[in-house]
Amino acid sequence: MNRNRSPLDPSRAVLPEDSLASQADRLISDDEVFVRMTRSERLQHITLIICFVLLVLTGLPLLLDPSVWLKKLFFFETSFAWRGWIHRAAGAGLIGLSVFHLFYIVFTQRGREVFWALMPKLKDVTDALQSFGHNLGVTGWLHQRGICREFFDRHPSWLFEAPPRYGRYNFIEKFEYLAVLWGNVVMIVSGFFLWAINLSFRLFPLWVYDVFKIIHSYEAILAFLAIIIWHLYNVHLTPEVFPMSRVWLDGKITGHDLRTRHPLEYEAILEQRRLKSSNHRDTASQP
Amino acid sequence: MLCQLGVAVRTGQRAIVGKAMRLRTVKQTPKTIVSRKEWLAPRQGSRGQRAWALLAAGLLCLLVPTTKLPAAEDTNQSCLMCHEDHSLKDQAGRSLFVSKEQMEQSIHGRSGLSCVSCHVDLESVKDFPHSEKLARVACARCHEDAQRSVDTSVHAQAAPGKKTGGSSCASCHGYHDVVESKDVHSKTNPLNQPQTCGACHFVEKNGKRGEGFVKDFLQSTHGLALSRAGLANSASCSTCHGSHAVKGAADPASPMSRKQVPTTCGQCHSGILRDYLEGVHGRDFDKGIRDVPVCIDCHGEHQILSPLDKRSKVYATQIALTCAKCHDNEELIHKYKLLGKRLRTFQGSFHGVASAYGEPKVANCVSCHGFHNIRPSSDPESHIHPTKLPQTCGKCHPGAGEKLSQAKIHVLDPKVANYAGYVIQKAYFYLIAVIMGSFALYIFADLKVRLRQKFRKSQ
Repeated sequence: MNRNRSPLDPSRAVLPEDSLASQADRLISDDEVFVRMTRSERLQHITLIICFVLLVLTGLPLLLDPSVWLKKLFFFETSFAWRGWIHRAAGAGLIGLSVFHLFYIVFTQRGREVFWALMPKLKDVTDALQSFGHNLGVTGWLHQRGICREFFDRHPSWLFEAPPRYGRYNFIEKFEYLAVLWGNVVMIVSGFFLWAINLSFRLFPLWVYDVFKIIHSYEAILAFLAIIIWHLYNVHLTPEVFPMSRVWLDGKITGHDLRTRHPLEYEAILEQRRLKSSNHRDTASQP
Repeated sequence: MLCQLGVAVRTGQRAIVGKAMRLRTVKQTPKTIVSRKEWLAPRQGSRGQRAWALLAAGLLCLLVPTTKLPAAEDTNQSCLMCHEDHSLKDQAGRSLFVSKEQMEQSIHGRSGLSCVSCHVDLESVKDFPHSEKLARVACARCHEDAQRSVDTSVHAQAAPGKKTGGSSCASCHGYHDVVESKDVHSKTNPLNQPQTCGACHFVEKNGKRGEGFVKDFLQSTHGLALSRAGLANSASCSTCHGSHAVKGAADPASPMSRKQVPTTCGQCHSGILRDYLEGVHGRDFDKGIRDVPVCIDCHGEHQILSPLDKRSKVYATQIALTCAKCHDNEELIHKYKLLGKRLRTFQGSFHGVASAYGEPKVANCVSCHGFHNIRPSSDPESHIHPTKLPQTCGKCHPGAGEKLSQAKIHVLDPKVANYAGYVIQKAYFYLIAVIMGSFALYIFADLKVRLRQKFRKSQ
């Protein structure tokens, strides 16, 4: 934001962080701690990590060429059988976790809240574009050079001058949640038919079984790459949290981080507190 | 003395009737202690005795069926007087010691042969000690057939770089201690052949003239059967290579020549020979096709291991590579119109992947195709004949055979093998490429801005 790109609107030069901070200092301090992940959510997340890592480690060798060094990992006679048992055990763990999560988002207040907050809206699509456009800065550069100036003057939103302002969950987190939901369903269904091999041979011709195998393999590659590229960047490598966001361990987020990273949620809380305090003042002043 | 001679001659008779083992239990006659000095000293007063002994021995010899036998004991005794001395050496320092015990227990000793029966040039010698140089013993005087066989063998030929012929009878059979091959102490007994042949053929590295093969053999299932299980009827060197007439494998007359291998192995493995000849490989072998595999092509030669041994070429996880030597060989595929790409399609399957990681229980070539009597799928008796497939697949996947039998196996082209799978695979490929590409782009742009911000802030 500290790029003086356009003199169109002088108010843009003012940092929204600072203005918000000055307004809300009294109601939300930067040191105040908010709960971002409850203990149950953190435990679910850790279980997911364990299952996922085990599944990847025991599943990936099947997709790779059994090279010499990889074969060395399977050094005892039943090692390949162990690979299978661990993989299926972790798969069963993942199924268990999914069932638990289903109960969590259906039967608990917090779960329902989180689930609906994670559902994507049109704003998330525009947020993604906005964020990318803003980071890239191509349109601003074009405008500065006077290329397509008329178009940009008519549609200033295409200049992507400000980064998007996120609510409780940004489009990245929503995408990841949906990806996990989708991936889980695909992997569990296809994995089930691969596991119950004799059942699927009785039910389907071999090519259907092979399709399950293909889906299970490619979905696994997709999930694995998504985690090591997308998720690890967003929670570890991004300069915002490097070397690691500690939310998954303590579940806490500070007032400052809330204000800078999730401004819409911050404002909602602020609004709530304002209302509360004014009500309080009202009720206090009535008698 | 007389009594001593009598015992010896009687033992000789026993040996002739072939009761070798009982002989070992006969109590040994006490050794006569006559030193070299004593022998050289003027003989006193024993002449009469000696004459009687000779007479008695001669009479007794008449009872022996082989009438050729000379008065064995007498000459032996004379020889042993010197040669029983451990310290007796020739000019070159080689020991000239002859163990009386070994001599007597040897097949020749037991048959009543005397020293001079073999060392014939000693018969005429009157003055003792005799000259050092004796003529080489010619075993062929009695063993004509054996000598004739040896003359046709590789052992009769001079080794490369040498002028004279290869090994003598004694190199395999031993000298004074030679016993019949049935005897477990014989150098030519199957149990001892690896050592005997290995005396020349044991070299660390595999070379041309059978060098190193004995080392491999000792590790093989046949070698271990001999050395560990003590099975004298396990294959030893001569079982496969022949004995006196041993020839190089390139010689068509050798039992190890390509055309003879199945019959040679079939001496013991007759059931397998029958199966092999019924199968597609055996039938082509009968037609005289040289490229068709015989026993050794899959099982190896000297280093044949049990199929349960992980290092075996026919171990569950190794067999695919062994079959592929021909069935993925472009030249052979073209020449005999074989269905190619068997190995690649197998390796692409779960069976192949698991097998490559060393899982022995998963299906391999032989699980479906059988082994010695492999038949084409058109043969109604083949394991992969359409009517047999449900049963074959059902061995591992009970109840699943019906649908499996209609599946296409070993199809390389993914479009033909499974079109739906092919489309899904392609779709996933592009989906992954697009998603990962967008991730990379976004991360690149995001990182650029954030790093710049961080840099400015720190300034």
